[in-house]
Amino acid sequence: MTTIVDLIEAAGLTGRGGAAFSSAIKVKAAWENRARLIVNVCDGEIGAAKDAWVVANHLPELLEGVSLVTGGRRKAKTLFATHRGTTTARLLAEAGLPVLETPERYVSSEETSLISLAHGGDARPLAKRAPFVFGGRDSQGKRIRPTVVLNAETLWRISQINRYGVDWFRSFGTADEPGPRLVAIGGHVARRGVYESEAGTRLTSILAQAGGLPGDAEYVGVGGMGGILLTADEVRSATWDTPGMKRFGGAMGPGLINVWNPDDCPVEVASRMIAFGAGESAGQCGPCMFGLPALSADWARFSAEPNRETHWQLVSRLGQFGGRGACAHPDGVARFAQSALRALGPELAQHAENHCTKAGGRRYAQLG
Amino acid sequence: MPSSADHRRVAVDRILCSGHGVCAQTLPASIALDEWGYPIIVEDHVDADAGALAVKLCPARALFLR
Repeated sequence: MTTIVDLIEAAGLTGRGGAAFSSAIKVKAAWENRARLIVNVCDGEIGAAKDAWVVANHLPELLEGVSLVTGGRRKAKTLFATHRGTTTARLLAEAGLPVLETPERYVSSEETSLISLAHGGDARPLAKRAPFVFGGRDSQGKRIRPTVVLNAETLWRISQINRYGVDWFRSFGTADEPGPRLVAIGGHVARRGVYESEAGTRLTSILAQAGGLPGDAEYVGVGGMGGILLTADEVRSATWDTPGMKRFGGAMGPGLINVWNPDDCPVEVASRMIAFGAGESAGQCGPCMFGLPALSADWARFSAEPNRETHWQLVSRLGQFGGRGACAHPDGVARFAQSALRALGPELAQHAENHCTKAGGRRYAQLG
Repeated sequence: MPSSADHRRVAVDRILCSGHGVCAQTLPASIALDEWGYPIIVEDHVDADAGALAVKLCPARALFLR
């Protein structure tokens, strides 16, 4: 008998939350371990909006996906994680669904933060010695029951695969990255919003749905705080798929594109993002709680005074963040800083000569 | 290289680790320390016996083998 796991596997669905892990492997393990399901509707990345969009527009299908994954177990006790006080929290509560209220912090919606929160702990990441779908213990030895976290879009896609079939799903995207995928487009565009996209298309065609890449746009963020920064020229040549994003050190991520406002000094915007990322450390892992503020300071020093010494300091700092946190937050901020350093090269050279072309340059001057 | 009888992969529970730095003494060829004393794993494949001893000597019980 064909099960939903077989269908998901044939469809080649991967998690739409950012990690792009095989959904079939996850759902199969969830079945075998009778894991509790947590639906992640947090849209935790900066500028993310698609999971809230799924709840607002496709709640019945989302619930169908939940029922397919939990095998309709009545005692499954699925939780819906979202930030407290949001419209999404209200919609879920009105539908009579149990809401796991998540504090408004960047790392609090990370998969294991939600698992910790569901077990009565803090919404802070857990160290993963093995995937928690098998159950396990947190660092202090507290028992964690088998839990699987899937994001809202992923569950919606599962219901679509069940309804419309594998061939329909695979008619979108590429052979390696099949299926439709949502993308949130924000910032300096005519029509901000959540749109359908698929791997293998040009980044500019995706942006066309939001009114196109404006002629005065200079920089575009893909993937938020844990993503990358591209120049407008790079956006014009880039393909929306893993190889296309990998060229710039990025990934498809959680599906969000932000066109930076050309009136703002991009060096200042990048500085603020890195400083924000440093402040969002959960303060659990040394390399993150000490490393990120040091990275932010190195970035500020280099952008105020770009020379060989400050550049060397920044680059050697960036080399220290390889998988050294319980979660990927430090890696994400370092990835963003690395790509901002590349994309902003010409801007930084201008700044070295004490010359910022933006109105924000005055504000930038105060940063140093 | 997969884990075998005489080789294992060393890893750190980053939440438990409080930067004592003992692992860099017990596994000097595999682990370096950053400026705050937190481990940087340079080579995660370690001799099984040396790895087991390092795990035993980690004061934070953060070091483990897999």
